[in-house]
Amino acid sequence: MSNEAEQDWKDIIHRCFRCGYCKFTYDYNDFNCPSYKKYRFETYSTGGRLWLIYGIINGDLQWSENLANVLYACPTCGNCMENCRFDKFNFLLVDMIEAARAEAVKKGFCPEKQKALLARTKNPDMYNPYGEPNSDNEDLKKEYNLPDKAEWVYYIGCTSNYRQKNLRDATIRFLKKANIDFTLIDEHCCCSPIMRTGQISPVQDFMNYNIAQIINAGASKVITSCAGCYRTLKKDWLKFGAEYDFEVYHTIELVNKLLDEEKIKIKSEYNKTITYHDPCHLGRHMGVYDIPRDVIKRIPGVNFVEMERNRENAWCCGAGGGVKIGYPEWAVEISGERLEEAKETGATILSSVCPFCRTNLSDANDKYNMGFEVLDLIEILDQLEIEAME
Amino acid sequence: MSKIEVLSKLEDIVGKDFASNNREELFIYSQDPGVSHPRQVDYVVMPETVQEVQQIVRIANEKKIPIVPMGGGLTLSGLVIPVKGGIVLDTKRMDKIIEINETSRYALIEAGVTSGQLISHLREKYPDLQPPYPDAPPSVTLAGNALIHGSGYLSQKYGDHASMINGLEVVLPNGEVCKVGSCALSKYWFTRGPIPDLIGLFTSAFGTMGIVTKISIKLFPKPKLRNIVIGLIKNLDTIPGLVLNLTATDIPEDLMVALAEKPDFMKGYAILLLYITGDSQDELDSKTKILKKMYRKNKATFMKLPPRYYDIFLEQPQFAAKAADFRKGGGFEYVGSFLPLEKIPAAIEKARDISLKYGIVPTQVSRIIGRGHNVMFAASYSFNRADLDDMERARKALHETNEMVLELGGIPWKSELAGQKLIIEKMDPNYKILLRTIRKVLDPNGIMNPGNWEV
Ligand SMILES: Cc1cc2nc3c(=O)[nH]c(=O)nc-3n(C[C@H](O)[C@H](O)[C@H](O)COP(=O)(O)OP(=O)(O)OC[C@H]3O[C@@H](n4cnc5c(N)ncnc54)[C@H](O)[C@@H]3O)c2cc1C
Ligand code: SF4
Ligand code: SF4
Repeated sequence: MSNEAEQDWKDIIHRCFRCGYCKFTYDYNDFNCPSYKKYRFETYSTGGRLWLIYGIINGDLQWSENLANVLYACPTCGNCMENCRFDKFNFLLVDMIEAARAEAVKKGFCPEKQKALLARTKNPDMYNPYGEPNSDNEDLKKEYNLPDKAEWVYYIGCTSNYRQKNLRDATIRFLKKANIDFTLIDEHCCCSPIMRTGQISPVQDFMNYNIAQIINAGASKVITSCAGCYRTLKKDWLKFGAEYDFEVYHTIELVNKLLDEEKIKIKSEYNKTITYHDPCHLGRHMGVYDIPRDVIKRIPGVNFVEMERNRENAWCCGAGGGVKIGYPEWAVEISGERLEEAKETGATILSSVCPFCRTNLSDANDKYNMGFEVLDLIEILDQLEIEAME
Repeated sequence: MSKIEVLSKLEDIVGKDFASNNREELFIYSQDPGVSHPRQVDYVVMPETVQEVQQIVRIANEKKIPIVPMGGGLTLSGLVIPVKGGIVLDTKRMDKIIEINETSRYALIEAGVTSGQLISHLREKYPDLQPPYPDAPPSVTLAGNALIHGSGYLSQKYGDHASMINGLEVVLPNGEVCKVGSCALSKYWFTRGPIPDLIGLFTSAFGTMGIVTKISIKLFPKPKLRNIVIGLIKNLDTIPGLVLNLTATDIPEDLMVALAEKPDFMKGYAILLLYITGDSQDELDSKTKILKKMYRKNKATFMKLPPRYYDIFLEQPQFAAKAADFRKGGGFEYVGSFLPLEKIPAAIEKARDISLKYGIVPTQVSRIIGRGHNVMFAASYSFNRADLDDMERARKALHETNEMVLELGGIPWKSELAGQKLIIEKMDPNYKILLRTIRKVLDPNGIMNPGNWEV
């Protein structure tokens, strides 16, 4: 969080009335704050968190392990931003929680599990939160015969590169099929996981490094296949003072653009019933709702069905904000609720456009034996015949 | 018994996750969004069943620990902040909608069901029915609202929300469960009598008589269309006559007189907010026509609003909480009061003077209840939570408003401790003796929200 924004939130936080609109979906049909729904004490509602933070700021409360725990038990899903009625500050709610986490880190109250994210990300052999040896992506470039310089950089992101390789490969195959002039770079983590958990010390360096790599590749456009990377590059880096003039796309935006411009055509059918889970980072945090749906609807043969809570009201998958690492069982529980909802639609395919959502939804699918095929949209496209029109 | 032992007993009852004496829970539950000073809380507990509530109450009784039931905690007047420490019992895990009886038109719900939950349930499954609910945020409980003599939608036609209670299941201070209303002997929770009406024991009692675990509230038919017909009133003295004439017809579903500086058109006028409903546009048009005539006759001016204001005024519940940000400050509290209709013009003037004296923009609403038999008059004072002087100003304004209301022959509603004290000072001594006697019998150990209604 930049200094300017920091000034802002400390002056604003007391304006929360603890009225609780933020707990609900827009029609009050259900609690839609995963944290409040789980813990049920007012403390774990958005208002509770903000009042605790204000208590710290004005000296009524002291930092403690439990207080930090309350702040971290939130997947930063943004439902509160959507449903808080106070439009003078609702857009800052998650920023305030993240800024308070940064304070927790400074005061030495970052929970241990989340600390591991930083240690691994900072480790020069890794530069990723998964603790995998850093891949400079040169092998991939060779394998797919990619140039050193290109119009586009595919910024793979750590989850796709180290945990959801199928998604990565499907993306690369798609870009090849669509005749996109692209390359890969030696990435450092985009910093989403450490930003969400308030561990922001390396952000500036990592961001500058990544930007330099993108510029060195001669690219004017960057594509991400991860909703988290997309938000971080496109929005959060700017908050940290990044200056760049490349454009940032999510894969699904590119797919849609190519379909619009009739540069690609989907030639085969996909005769299945699909529902779509809005990743919080792409939906509520970036406002991208229609594009993935438009793409799904343009796949011949698809029967597209919506879950009850969708778009701005989507139920979070539960993985974000450090919850997957900090509270792994709860994270899967949250996804379990999403799968129950998906079940009611009659869909057999649960799709999304985020490797992190995909991981967590798949974990829940396995744990609760729900029998879905959990797929990223790019993996679905990968199964289809796609023809480049040029 | 040490605090750790009490906590461990509470944990045995509700599970480790739903009993706490962590500083963070105690901090949050020691204050509400109104202007009351924080007060000590020792434990917070969230039971899910009536049996759990019974066990908690038994422990509280055995150990003489105060216990304060809390729903949404949005009454604003500090009623859910313990006066003498102890347990805050948050009811919101008791959240089942047990029965919607479409024929006898009632909803049987657990005490922690929020207004949002029931509104949305009915909208989806029973679109022809509506519950009585307040303009409070959707996170309040309907039990909390009815139990404090709340008012809101349908109150003009059918009375305040306490009068819409058909029956209650209550855990008494000794831990026994008691049903009051027709449910005391029938499986239908459809009416209060005809047996001695004990429901009143639990209304506006602020949790001093027991903990309500289930409530049956009346539901009402919901016409397909709804609109608002606005009137501007220049001369406040015309209000009682106008209201009498309007409520002599069957037309207004809800009726309020508001005073506010914003939007601009409201400045300098009292605004009549009259809601009409019907099943066809023709019906609404003919009602509007009659109203326009009545307004003219009673020296009020009909006003057509720009469309965006219709959206604001027709939203249900309205976003009344916006008053919390009038001073960029996360807070407002109001003196709600029950006043006789004839005293409304004086109350409006006097409350406006109080607002101006404390530098707070006058914001008031008078909600007509039960065709004018009663008016819920509310004078609201916004404050900035980050400015202690501002909060003190609001406190003083609230106190003076309480005094003013009592002077006019009205009664402050859901009053904070200071207001309760003023009420008690004026109360008939024998009323006090009766109340004290009943409380002593029901709650010999004085564990139920002690400090409230200390007669
Ligand atoms: C913006 C705003 C607008 C409002 N508008 C209105 C309005 O239009 N009309 C209106 O009537 N009110 C209004 N209110 C006041 C109040 O919020 C509502 O009346 C609300 O419904 C109270 O319910 P609650 O669950 O918050 O009650 P709480 O504050 O939790 O409790 C109220 C009282 O009831 C007791 N209590 C709660 N549950 C139980 C139980 N199960 N057993 C025994 N005692 C219990 C508590 O101890 C307390 O004394 C408004 C408040 C706000 C903030
Ligand atoms: S975040 Fe917004 S909606 Fe939630 S309690 Fe605070 S003011 Fe109310
Ligand atoms: S970000 Fe999501 S989980 Fe966190 S407080 Fe807001 S609504 Fe709740």
